Amino acid sequence: MQNFKGLALAAVLSSVSGAALAQDPLDIAFTVHSGSSNTFWQAVQKGYEDACAKVAATCQMVYVQTDGSVQEQVANMEAALARKPDALITSIVDNAAFDDVIKRARDAGVIVIASNVDDLEGAAGNARQAFIGQGFVAAGMSLGRAQSANFPADGPIRVLVGVSAPGQNWSEQRALGVMNFMDEYIAANPTRDIKYERIDSGTDLAVVSDRIGAYLLANPETNAYFDTGFWHAGVARVLADRGVEPGKVLLGGFDLVPEVLEQMKAGYVQVQVDQQPYMQGFMPVMQVYLAKTIGLAPSDIDTGQGIVTPDMVDAIMEMSAKGLR
Amino acid sequence: MRRLLKLSLQKPEMAASLLLLLLVLFFQVRSDMVFLSYDNLRGMLGYLPEVGLVAVGVTLLMICGEFDLSVGSVFALMPMTMAVMMVAGWGFWPATGLGLLVCAFVGFLNGWITIKFAIPSFITTLGMLFMARSLTVVISGGFPPRLNMADIPEHLFISYVGPGDLFRASFLWFVGISILISLLLSKTNFGNWVRATGGYLPAAEALGIPANKVKIACFMICSVLAGLAGLFQVLRLGSPLPSIGEGLELQAVAAAVIGGTALGGGIGSILGGIIGALLIRVIDNGMVMSQVDSNWFKFAVGALTILAVVGNSWLRKRGRAMKVETER
Repeated sequence: MQNFKGLALAAVLSSVSGAALAQDPLDIAFTVHSGSSNTFWQAVQKGYEDACAKVAATCQMVYVQTDGSVQEQVANMEAALARKPDALITSIVDNAAFDDVIKRARDAGVIVIASNVDDLEGAAGNARQAFIGQGFVAAGMSLGRAQSANFPADGPIRVLVGVSAPGQNWSEQRALGVMNFMDEYIAANPTRDIKYERIDSGTDLAVVSDRIGAYLLANPETNAYFDTGFWHAGVARVLADRGVEPGKVLLGGFDLVPEVLEQMKAGYVQVQVDQQPYMQGFMPVMQVYLAKTIGLAPSDIDTGQGIVTPDMVDAIMEMSAKGLR
Repeated sequence: MRRLLKLSLQKPEMAASLLLLLLVLFFQVRSDMVFLSYDNLRGMLGYLPEVGLVAVGVTLLMICGEFDLSVGSVFALMPMTMAVMMVAGWGFWPATGLGLLVCAFVGFLNGWITIKFAIPSFITTLGMLFMARSLTVVISGGFPPRLNMADIPEHLFISYVGPGDLFRASFLWFVGISILISLLLSKTNFGNWVRATGGYLPAAEALGIPANKVKIACFMICSVLAGLAGLFQVLRLGSPLPSIGEGLELQAVAAAVIGGTALGGGIGSILGGIIGALLIRVIDNGMVMSQVDSNWFKFAVGALTILAVVGNSWLRKRGRAMKVETER
């Protein structure tokens, strides 16, 4: 509901914003922990730039050169702060590394909003004012719960959880969510033989395909694989190559990219969680605008644990091609 | 017999070959005999041409005394160029031709800048690593264009061929190209020039070898092979993601070094580079198969890199110290 409110507000704002800010454009910087080649972030950037255009803000999106490099991201934040922006939007992939720079930004009167990934302690973790993104643990649980409807009705269940980036909050928390769900599921089905395991699956389509492909050969009794990103799309290819029928090994993960959508259509991927990246780029700008123009305090927005199933793919593919989902 | 042993011990790829054999046996036993199963071999042989071709190019260049750290980015740039052009209405062959030309141009630039400004190729290609990756993202607009597989002659690149459909067509390309480059290195003047240029540049120049042209040619071959490898991967996985090939440059250098190529140039073999690449894949795949804690993957690759190089150096010393009778 909160999401719809936000979007409606954004639509209203878009009609009046140009004139209001013509004199003094907002200066906003968005620093992220990803390299620019990660497809997911391009949808965030699109939302961010669209929002900036609507409120005529001067905006910059800053990627790191080495994917996941916290120190590079902190350095980018420092550089952005030196320009004295009105607001700093950032992903918080580490629980301590960003505390100091965020505090200094707040002391200097800069609005700081976390997007996409938050400190594990939430608002208590540092001085950021709001978090706009997915609750990762909850999203992991949602994914597990949705896929469990496809688990075999009897016999043993073996599940593999692929941690795409061990040690990084987003990946570890999603995996934790799936594993928490599995613990619940095991407790709810005490008579069944259910086990799960985790693996360092990687963030390269070819590597993930090879690793999980090898695991499935060594453990042919595996019923389901959960990826903390979208790289299980490569696993679907491996299964198709081996002549394994769709659904024999259940596949599910996070984020919508064209390859995953195609594998959903082919039947290999049954469940996917969408965190609506466009909104993660769009809404922080709107919150900055509201804070600066009428003094509204930025507040948290859960951008969703929307479960996407194969019947929804066609409509989503159209939006995906436009870079909106 | 002793002479044969001496020659074998001095071969640069000897230590890596022995390690490979031992690891394959080890993983086969640890994985309850699944490691060498048909499906797993098929998977590994599908992936090998992609990392193998990059390793072949990097090995050739390292023998010539230079580095190329931009191969991982060129690996992504080539298929992205092809995919973007195909979406724009070009046919597969012109789009692929343009992609390979872009690679050749990147290789030329790497070589020309390195030579013209007398800077280490490590620096030139490090810069190119960032530039080529950035170009990949820019031309794609960040979103992977969707390939229409019906427009692509899959049977020439990724369809299964060979006995029991064990290989993909890309494997045949890989074997053919590797043999060609090996022959180029061992049977032609160009090969001698490459070794001489990498071995001791002032002497090579004094002998009248066109060292600059040799280096630029090696840079270009290296880039084109990286691009071709990227094409194979994108056609196999069906998605030209702009992030593919990240970190591949270090893996390729590791493969060349594991395979016995000297960092200083002059010494090395294409077979060694391929064995090195295979060894890295075997470790990664075998550790998953034998259910080793995955947090140890990178440790294992690192430790084996050092072990292979130490083993190589030891074997070569043993080989040199071994006395054989000379023929009269």
